[in-house]
Amino acid sequence: MTEQTQSYLFLAVLLGVAVAFPLVMLGLARLWATVYSPAKPGPAKAAPYECGLESTGDAWVQLRSGYYLYAIVFLIFDVEALFLLPFAVAFTSLPVGAFVAILVFLLLLVEGLVWAWQKGVLEWN
Amino acid sequence: MNPFSYLEALRLAAPETALAVAALAVLFADLGGMRGESLRHRAILGAGITAVGGAMALLWLGFAPGYGTIAEGVLVTSPLTQLVKAGLVLLTLLVAGLSLDPRFTGHVGEYFSLLLLGTIGMMVLVSTQDLLMLFLALELTSLPLYVLAGFNKRDRASAEAALKYFFFGSVAAAFLLFGFSLLYGVAGSTRLPVIAAAVALKPPDALTLVALVCVVMGFGFKVAAVPFHLWAPDAYEGAPTPAAAFIASGSKVASFAVFGIVLAQGLGPMAGGADWHGFTTGWLPLLAVVALASMLLGNLAAIAQRSVKRLLAYSAIAHAGYLLLGLMALATPANRPAALAAILYYAITYALSTVGAFGIVAVVERATGSDAADGFNGLARRSPALALCLMIFLLSLAGIPPLAGFLGKFYVFVAATRAGDGSLSLFWLVLVAIALSVVSLYYYLKLLKRAYVLPPDGAVPATRPDVMEFVVIGMTAAAVLGLGVFPRALLEPLALAIQQAGF
Repeated sequence: MTEQTQSYLFLAVLLGVAVAFPLVMLGLARLWATVYSPAKPGPAKAAPYECGLESTGDAWVQLRSGYYLYAIVFLIFDVEALFLLPFAVAFTSLPVGAFVAILVFLLLLVEGLVWAWQKGVLEWN
Repeated sequence: MNPFSYLEALRLAAPETALAVAALAVLFADLGGMRGESLRHRAILGAGITAVGGAMALLWLGFAPGYGTIAEGVLVTSPLTQLVKAGLVLLTLLVAGLSLDPRFTGHVGEYFSLLLLGTIGMMVLVSTQDLLMLFLALELTSLPLYVLAGFNKRDRASAEAALKYFFFGSVAAAFLLFGFSLLYGVAGSTRLPVIAAAVALKPPDALTLVALVCVVMGFGFKVAAVPFHLWAPDAYEGAPTPAAAFIASGSKVASFAVFGIVLAQGLGPMAGGADWHGFTTGWLPLLAVVALASMLLGNLAAIAQRSVKRLLAYSAIAHAGYLLLGLMALATPANRPAALAAILYYAITYALSTVGAFGIVAVVERATGSDAADGFNGLARRSPALALCLMIFLLSLAGIPPLAGFLGKFYVFVAATRAGDGSLSLFWLVLVAIALSVVSLYYYLKLLKRAYVLPPDGAVPATRPDVMEFVVIGMTAAAVLGLGVFPRALLEPLALAIQQAGF
């Protein structure tokens, strides 16, 4: 039992250190800021930085969320490349079954792309 | 290690392959040829292709069942798995029959495609003995279900249903995966028999207990048991009715089958005990608490529901409690075949009556515009056949002889009573379950009273099912009645298959 307790004690110590480490760092940074660079905000200092120009409008602009669809379609090819590389390396020693299997896999991905295309996912409007 | 045989894999997974081909075909048929056609025509085409794929799978399962094992248990087919798979395909076909009026979406091809993909997930789920494959199959089941729950994009309730289902599901999946990883740490293998051998060597320690709790949490979510049930009422209420029927039927059967397989074949040696005042460490006390909470909360909360779909959801939670009682009977090895047969009989007949009940809800919902219980007022006068079928389903859910629900409960309770080698160790839970079955009769009868005794409210439009809905509702009602009168039609094949599968 004692052996077991000790092996878990290590985890508890690790947890304590993991919590304390960032807290100490953050505390030190805070201390440094209050002592050496107290905040003195002014209109010029509080303005958002825009390459030296006068800032105009609100920084909270809406971005188009439709971009995620491109990310997903990209993922199709990402995963495809991941599998194609080892497939190409081992190509000469593969049995027929494995070859057919990877072709089916490619077919599924292509079908996914064709489906997305037909559904109009790739049109940006 | 033997080289992996692709032909052998194809032979064993032929039914799944048929469904996968159908899923791709339905997607492309809808995309290619059906633009500009009416939703109704597209739905008929989609359901037709689904039916062809399902029929192919059923023929394969019935006439050319291949039995074998691939890659040391990644895919295992036995008479038992093939029988359960046939049941799952049948349930999917019934749900497809209810989906011919898809006014909840414009994406008909995707709908049927997801239905089929979810079914493939369930089929793989029941025929694997490897934790990794099990997890993948569980995700393949869950992801289409999340999407199906949110399929009505125009409806806020549907989006809420999908989001809640998805959040609960992803957290539960994370816990399940964590539990599996700990089990792998204990046994050094992801195969269930090896895990069973490893946990049998020593009494349960902290590691295996954490793993156990995580696994029970993961599966508890899938079967909607208290306290992991919170998604169920919202998901059932918000999801399009056919999708809710699918979540409530096929997914339930597959989840309970795989939960039973994991408990019996993977964690059997660490069952523990759940005697009254005599809990010993293991999964029995865990399941006892979960089952008791499910039965209590499910049955009591169902009384207060005004929406029929929510009522069915709480009744599903209560039924999950009864079925967990059946799972607890798996702890006694001598009792296992009878308990497994009882669980599967219960789950399949329960799923049939749920599909039928959701079918009726869909018809009433179309006529009155909501699934509120008020819409059922005077149903017997508007549509006597529909009211009769509703009576069969609800009384079967309540457990009234001679319907299948009674025998399901009877066999499960008998199995639970016999658990523990005649020590009556689970009898206290059986008593609670019987008492709460009586409570359940109250809310089922309240709905029946609306259908049979109360007059219809004002001018309610005619409540007519279309042809396929009527066929599905009629067939499930006939099956619930038939399996109640001739239980052997299902129990004997089940018992034979369980014996051949080596339980």
